[in-house]
Amino acid sequence: MTDKRLETAAVGAVALMLVAAGFIFLYAPTDALQGPVQRIFYLHVSSAIAAYGCFAVVLLGGIVYLWKENATADRLARAGAVVGLVFTTVTLVMGMIWAKPIWGTFWTWDARLTSTLVLWIIYAGYLMVRRLAEPGRQAARFAAVVGIFGFIDVPVVHFSVTWWRTQHPGPVVINDALPPQMLVAFFITMASTLFLAAVMIAIRYRIELLTDQAAERVVPAQVVAHGEVGTAR
Amino acid sequence: MLVVSLAPAADAAKYAADLGRGTLMRFATIALAVARKDLMSEWRTRELVPALAQFVVLALVIANFGFQFDSRNAPAIAPGVLWMALVFAGLVAFGRAFAAEREQSSLDAMLLTPASPAAIFTGKALAAGLLLVVCEAVLLPALALFFNVPLSFAVVSAVLLATVGMAVLGCLFAAMVARVRARELLLPLLTLPLWIPFIVVGGQAVQAAMGGGGGGASQATGLLIDLDILFVVLTSLTARFVLDD
Repeated sequence: MTDKRLETAAVGAVALMLVAAGFIFLYAPTDALQGPVQRIFYLHVSSAIAAYGCFAVVLLGGIVYLWKENATADRLARAGAVVGLVFTTVTLVMGMIWAKPIWGTFWTWDARLTSTLVLWIIYAGYLMVRRLAEPGRQAARFAAVVGIFGFIDVPVVHFSVTWWRTQHPGPVVINDALPPQMLVAFFITMASTLFLAAVMIAIRYRIELLTDQAAERVVPAQVVAHGEVGTAR
Repeated sequence: MLVVSLAPAADAAKYAADLGRGTLMRFATIALAVARKDLMSEWRTRELVPALAQFVVLALVIANFGFQFDSRNAPAIAPGVLWMALVFAGLVAFGRAFAAEREQSSLDAMLLTPASPAAIFTGKALAAGLLLVVCEAVLLPALALFFNVPLSFAVVSAVLLATVGMAVLGCLFAAMVARVRARELLLPLLTLPLWIPFIVVGGQAVQAAMGGGGGGASQATGLLIDLDILFVVLTSLTARFVLDD
């Protein structure tokens, strides 16, 4: 995608998020029990789903890279990891803000909270591998392996509320527990958030592509300057 | 030293190839040769196991100061101490598994032999896992002795089953970090979060067995076996990308 198109997409994503905010704050009714703090739910759940999606991109990008050594797949995986980490952070922070008035504490060692925190740590480790491994094939391969193992935690997070007895609320959307107006606000927020995530991945992909191209141009210059080809490790 | 560590793997590869036996037999021969080489090297130097044994006993001493043990809270705290000590001992053991290879660049030489990277990796994981089992043979009796908790079959089987998965995963990431900068930093960062399933399930089993609440020891055993299979399969699929980079 060209930079111009990415700019348009970014503006569109921000506009959509504002529309979603309108639905969250003006259209959706206030929760009878929880009060206005319940409105956190819309973005909290949407960010979690966006994060799952991003980590799925990391997984698929990793598998395709190991299989075909395709640089595009690796760049997508890189982009997915960064964006997924951002959305996991949003999910965790918004959840904590919600938990303080509702549960009386920011944090509890509940299965879903803990597994989400572990998810965050795993993908922070993924980015750490990228940074510490030798750039190029080694970093891409090692990161792909971490991404494949790390994704095991995603279903654990998702099903934690049904596998264990947890304090975290169970699924409300698929269980038909929401009034129609809340459902509309939720689906609009989710669609906007997923679009935002996709645009963020696209922008990040562009950055990774430019970084790779710049690196390819810099390396030969260094080789000339030092008069030697850098030996591995 | 280089010759000592290389010869068995190379010989085994040639031996197996000469005989023209099945792939599986060749795989097992190479894996066992690599494991034997690692264990022999440990037997000759006797570096890691005594250090690990001291380490786990020290961990128990520190836990004693951290938790204010008495006879009532011991069954609740001892399982946690067990897993803490085990996890950190494991990190040290698996970190060392590739340290000698790295220092002498013998891993690259091993990879140049016809031996498959997966077989070499299996051998390394087998040896490192066995060394951790030796360390558990010190940790578990010490825990039972110092904290006065029962040492049942359920505890031992949970720890051993967890060791299998922890060893394959730990060795995979140890092989990875052996090739990158800041490896001491990266190994715990990558390994600990992925070991958590073993600690969750193994922890439940040990708590149930030590009488500190929690139920379903047999269910936990089944889950541990499932996790072992999952991680062994995933590791066997990805190991060659890590070793042969």
